[in-house]
Amino acid sequence: MASNHSATEESTKRHKVEGPKKHVIAFIFSLALTLIAFAAVMGGEINKDFIYIILMGTAFLQVFVQMAFWMHMKDRGHTFALIGILGGVFIVFTCVIMAEYWAWW
Amino acid sequence: MSAHSHVDGQLPHEPEKATLEGRNKVLGFWLFLGGETVLFGTLFSAFLALRHQVLGGPPAEELFNLGLVAAATLILLTSSLTSVFAVHALHTHQVKSLIMWLIITVVLGAGFLGLEIYEFVHYVHEGHGFTTSAFSSSFYTLVGFHGAHVAFGILWISLLIIQLAKKGLNTTTAPKVYIASMYWHFIDVVWVFIFTVVYLMGKVG
Repeated sequence: MASNHSATEESTKRHKVEGPKKHVIAFIFSLALTLIAFAAVMGGEINKDFIYIILMGTAFLQVFVQMAFWMHMKDRGHTFALIGILGGVFIVFTCVIMAEYWAWW
Repeated sequence: MSAHSHVDGQLPHEPEKATLEGRNKVLGFWLFLGGETVLFGTLFSAFLALRHQVLGGPPAEELFNLGLVAAATLILLTSSLTSVFAVHALHTHQVKSLIMWLIITVVLGAGFLGLEIYEFVHYVHEGHGFTTSAFSSSFYTLVGFHGAHVAFGILWISLLIIQLAKKGLNTTTAPKVYIASMYWHFIDVVWVFIFTVVYLMGKVG
């Protein structure tokens, strides 16, 4: 399996580049997103809808950082992992949207 | 990348994916996390639907103390980082540093859990019991389920630390560490949504 061999080499190369430094950057990025979310709520009178948009934006960005970098989602060979988790996320969105509308009506 | 006298022969670079069993464990764990996502999603949707039904109990904006939540968030986020360092140590085959990072992760997890227990006790004293209102029931079910996951993770990783200390790092123990780390990140991901949806959106109203 020549292709397999080169794939291993490729991932070795990638991991050599990707030291703990990259994880610290991801950590700082997550911290900043958390800070923005808390500041938006604690920082006084901003438009409520605008705060909601900020909160959702920072939350999804942070999840993206965690999944891609810390859970190695961006590495190759994660197609089925992506299908598995997206299947879950799809059901979640259905539930959340349903529950929100049910509560509003 | 020196000093792997503990290893019989040379371990591959990613020992968690060296065996078919290891690869299947990682894949199976992703599917499990998909199911966990659904579990938490249903709890989130129940909470979203019921969060304004306070029935005379304290509402979210009076109840929540964001300082405490920020501290818990910081602790859990840091523990996510230390479990990444643990996987990094796994990839460079440094068992001692792997065990050390796992211990730090467990200690931080225990700190988070301690804060959460303190928070819950405080809320009960404020008149926010499990059966007070639909808001309180859905709150405790959602946040408590997450806390139970943290507690389970602490137990799991502690057992892994013991096994690593006894058996060292090999192609059997490596996938276990890897998926435990995935589980820990997932807990942090769920917490991101809890502090956003439950606490911050609760404060906004």
